[in-house]
Amino acid sequence: MGTPITEADIERVDAALHEVYDPEVGLDIMTMGLIYRLEAGMEKVIIDMTLTTPGCPVSDSLPEEARQAAARALDPGGDDRVNLEVVWDPPWSPEMIDDDALAELGYRRVTN
Amino acid sequence: MAASKASIPRQSPPSGGPPVSPLAVPPAWLPLAWLACAVIGLIGFGVTLTVTASTVVHTPGAPTAVATVHVAMLAFLSTAVLGASHQFGPVVAGRRLRSVTAGLITMLLWVPASWLLPFAFATRRPALLEVAGVLAGSAVCLAAWNLSGPLLRRGRGTPVLGLRLAIVFLVVTAAFGVTYAFDLHHGYFLLLPRRVLAHAHLGLIGWIGLAYVAVAEKLWPMFLLAHRPSTAAGDWAVRLVAGGVPVVAVGLLIPSEPLTSIGAGIVVAGLTAHLVSLAGVIRHRRRRMELLHAYVLTSAVMLIVAVWAAAIAGMFDVSTAVRTRAIQTEIFALTMWLGLAVIGHLHKIVPFISWSRMRAAGHTKAPNGRPLLFAHLVHAPAARAAYATAVVAAASGAAGMAGGHVLAIEICGVALAITGLIVIVNLTSGPLRIVANDRRAARAEPEPDPATTTDTPTPVAVS
Repeated sequence: MGTPITEADIERVDAALHEVYDPEVGLDIMTMGLIYRLEAGMEKVIIDMTLTTPGCPVSDSLPEEARQAAARALDPGGDDRVNLEVVWDPPWSPEMIDDDALAELGYRRVTN
Repeated sequence: MAASKASIPRQSPPSGGPPVSPLAVPPAWLPLAWLACAVIGLIGFGVTLTVTASTVVHTPGAPTAVATVHVAMLAFLSTAVLGASHQFGPVVAGRRLRSVTAGLITMLLWVPASWLLPFAFATRRPALLEVAGVLAGSAVCLAAWNLSGPLLRRGRGTPVLGLRLAIVFLVVTAAFGVTYAFDLHHGYFLLLPRRVLAHAHLGLIGWIGLAYVAVAEKLWPMFLLAHRPSTAAGDWAVRLVAGGVPVVAVGLLIPSEPLTSIGAGIVVAGLTAHLVSLAGVIRHRRRRMELLHAYVLTSAVMLIVAVWAAAIAGMFDVSTAVRTRAIQTEIFALTMWLGLAVIGHLHKIVPFISWSRMRAAGHTKAPNGRPLLFAHLVHAPAARAAYATAVVAAASGAAGMAGGHVLAIEICGVALAITGLIVIVNLTSGPLRIVANDRRAARAEPEPDPATTTDTPTPVAVS
């Protein structure tokens, strides 16, 4: 039986994911809204993450970077305590960015 | 945005297949080396166009003018598209090249051939032309074999289908060229203008143009973050261009004017669909317009100029001199359609590739201490300067070809060479600056003091 995941673990992972940046936009992946789910499983932190488009050039490196950041936040034994999956539903859209960052970046909200 | 606690079903990506396997991505040095050679080709094109401007205007069939055209087609455009294909093919198809070493050998055969062939034209040395033909032909065969690994993968959508067909056109164009290189001694085939035009259209539209039309269907939505309701226009563009080019080529070779016209109509319909696709991407974009889009739109204007020039040459009863200038304008405008697209996309693709490589090498921070971003690898004002010089080149070149103005073509050549210099300095200096900064920082770090480290036992003072 492994160590259960606590609220403090989730907070540390949350903070760690705020340090993982989308290299084109320059925002962290939490602010970008790329993390759809971050919650405690029985013995693992469950993370559902998406990317801006399926053809995103960092589709390999960004999820792996997020997984490593989460694992470091859970050390020791963090590697075995993170379950990160890339999901595509719902598709990411700029609406998922917070308002201030959205305006600064010049993204367009869908009006129709 | 805060993390959602809501449970969201996990699904595969709705389009484009699963995320790319890391094994599919070729090492960064391969596409970067190809693309660096392409920018040197752009500089070479600018220089040779400046030097041969008078010949290009007054005797476009002269060996030095033919050499200039081949520097543009081979050393610049084809090198860029081959390099991009070695990155794009595996990444989009999700299957690696048959051999990275073969990719390197292809480049080592192709790049010398792309310079030797124009040199042989300019200096009228048939033996050198044959050597260049062998090198280029070998490179094309090797590239076709190597790229067939990823590009023959089924179910990867229009971009892969289009790139696959573009490689077929590359093989046909090269076979055409190599045949003429060897025929120079024997003269079995007269190098008639309509045959030259068939060769030019196979290469420019069938190979390089189709590759761009296909790849754009992947790159544009990604860079503009466009969620389009339909990709039908792009799908039609690829199929019509691929279907129309052989008809044009056969029509020119037979020769059959009706067949050429039907083929031209199909190609124009395909290129129009390509522009409709661009309009759709822009309409449904989720990001503001940026420099890349200025490049893409200017490139689209050059495509429209090319179609009009072709229409004047092919459909109107004009003098031979006017027809010649119209054809020159068409070929130049097609070259700039593709050239502007290549230069614009280089400013996106090179930082993407360099970023991954730099992070793998441990360069993860910008000089300001923030995480390394693509934007740190490109100097934005320099990129805008390159756009300005490229636009000057396109406008002055088109005006020069249409009006027969030598000075305008010389200005175009100088502007192209300056554009290439800015691009290569900009895209290489960004990463080098980051590396130099990291090295300086590493040197500046003080040596660990044994007295202050906790792992080292503190010496006991002996009285």
